[in-house]
Amino acid sequence: MATETSTPATATTAEITPLPAFSPDLYQRAWASIPHPTLPLIATCHAHSVTIFSLSTLSKHSVLSGGHTRSVRTAAWQPPRGGKNPSKETKRLRLVTGSFDTTAGVWTWDQGRREERLEREVRLQSGQEDTKEEEEEEDEWELTLVLEGHENEVKSVSYSPSGQYLATCSRDKSVWIWEDVGNPNPSEEDEEVDEDEWETVAVLQEHDGDVKAVAWCPDVPGRKSKYAPARRYGDDVLASASYDNTVRLWREDGDGEWVCVAVLEGHEGTVWGVSWEQKPREGDRFPRLLSWGADERIRVWSLKEPEEEEEHQGGEGGGNNPWGFGVPNTMRRSLKEEWECTAVLPKVHKGDVYSVAWSNETGLLASVGSDGVLALYQETTKAEEDVEMTNGDAPTTPSAGGWKVLTTVKSAHGPYEINHITWCKRYDAGSERKSEEEMLVTTGDDGVVKPWQVRIQ
Amino acid sequence: MGKSDFDNANPTVLSVSQLPSRTQAKGHVRKGPDSKYDHILFPKQWWAGSSLNSDPSVWTSDEDEDEDLTLATEEPIDEQEIYDLLSKISDPEHPVTLGQIAVVRLDDIHLSPSPGERSDPNSLVNVEVDLTPTVNHCSLATVIGLAVRVRLENALPPNYRIIVRMKDGSHAQDDQVNKQLGDKERVAAALENDTLKGIISKMLETCV
Repeated sequence: MATETSTPATATTAEITPLPAFSPDLYQRAWASIPHPTLPLIATCHAHSVTIFSLSTLSKHSVLSGGHTRSVRTAAWQPPRGGKNPSKETKRLRLVTGSFDTTAGVWTWDQGRREERLEREVRLQSGQEDTKEEEEEEDEWELTLVLEGHENEVKSVSYSPSGQYLATCSRDKSVWIWEDVGNPNPSEEDEEVDEDEWETVAVLQEHDGDVKAVAWCPDVPGRKSKYAPARRYGDDVLASASYDNTVRLWREDGDGEWVCVAVLEGHEGTVWGVSWEQKPREGDRFPRLLSWGADERIRVWSLKEPEEEEEHQGGEGGGNNPWGFGVPNTMRRSLKEEWECTAVLPKVHKGDVYSVAWSNETGLLASVGSDGVLALYQETTKAEEDVEMTNGDAPTTPSAGGWKVLTTVKSAHGPYEINHITWCKRYDAGSERKSEEEMLVTTGDDGVVKPWQVRIQ
Repeated sequence: MGKSDFDNANPTVLSVSQLPSRTQAKGHVRKGPDSKYDHILFPKQWWAGSSLNSDPSVWTSDEDEDEDLTLATEEPIDEQEIYDLLSKISDPEHPVTLGQIAVVRLDDIHLSPSPGERSDPNSLVNVEVDLTPTVNHCSLATVIGLAVRVRLENALPPNYRIIVRMKDGSHAQDDQVNKQLGDKERVAAALENDTLKGIISKMLETCV
């Protein structure tokens, strides 16, 4: 078990309390709520639309509708440009939606144009009455591009950390990678050349079932550290989760080819999702990966340390592999990565685990599922484990694989299933540390989007 | 009957009087003071029936708005009640109901916890329905399973978790069909498919 000894946490108790739900209720199944990486906005997908809520007012900010003919399953915000410097942040917002209508939609909110329009209105109003205000409210979001190619429902979309790539996946068993060619320098602010132009750079078809989710590895120091695989491939790593019970990892091989570098097997049912560790690890080790699914389990996967791997690096020969099992052509020997399951979280859920969120502040995990339970977990330190070993009393919380359950909330959405959970920053009036304090947001079949305060002592 | 293009040209058909039913007369809805404010206490009921579909008329049409409402407020739902909800669904191929050709069987419906042990309206109740399709035809089994799931999702309160399966060994690709029917996302997407939606609403027309 690779236990993180770096975890500072000595937290023993945690309390989760509901905050007022976002208004209005949507009164229909909502699939997911995706917080903006830097702004106080969260995008909730429901039916054919997306409702954006303000995290400051906890009420509706705007709506994206009319672009999809079937349900919107998921959404992803374009990473903000200008790096971490907020003053360079663009006034343009972009959201990509993935829909059961087989397409992904690229939506744009142009703050600059909006301000121009407001100014014009003010000028008009000083001269004559203007009644257009109401209708423009809904016009702020514009569907600027439709990405077509998948044969069936799109289930998930994800932006690479730089914004250069977008990944989409579908029931058609494929993962598509698109490159933002209209915006050649995504890290630099240059709106003049920012056009909606995307190119398909890969169609990955190695999964044997629906691909349920895709997620890019975040740009944390560990991604490029000494533990990262050899320099010859690109830094971007994509994880995909599937109905075929596996997780696959993909990299660009340096010649523009995207290849599967690892297949993670262990789940005994559909893998509903994957999430990368966002919090930098001690010694800049490579980020770990979480996966969860219909088998009611949550697994933690880690890249094997290179020195361990060296032992296996016997013959670099092509078709000859020392393990004696077949390796597909696309997983050329030199590109293969060794990943192992280093923890299975204590079992809490009775039914599918639909969503797990990994905090980049505290490293805490939160999960939800069809049983309506919200669970909070913490990684245990080595010392804590030793205490539990020597302590004669049975531990008060179930513990397994270096993680323990801190607390659970039953019937978090009443009798309804919970489809999604995420950590995000608090900006509402009730927070004492606005834009710093973290909260949880859950999204359910009841159409309610609920924030939760998390107190740890 | 007798058309050779049916997958099962000659299924065993039970007469209605042979089907399992309650001994006492059905349809007596208790309207005591206990249930007077149920529409306020269970306000979500009204839309739970349409949660899978933006166009509620497709599923609930003229039929059982009232029945759906009273289900939660009557005595606890038991296996017979589930059976009654399902047995009148039409077979997609034959002019008979799923009860008549014993695709749905009372003995293969299980509720847990059992009706007497429930208290909290938020506590979950599992409904397990094992179907016995008459034919070894994958897509038809899936359609029947989907209709059963839709019928129960529309009629039962939201704390019911519905598990629809093909009875062991009754179907060539059991696992595959069971996995599809248990996949919330696939079920939701299937119900946005107009063709499928049409077939299923036709199957449910007889559920009055």
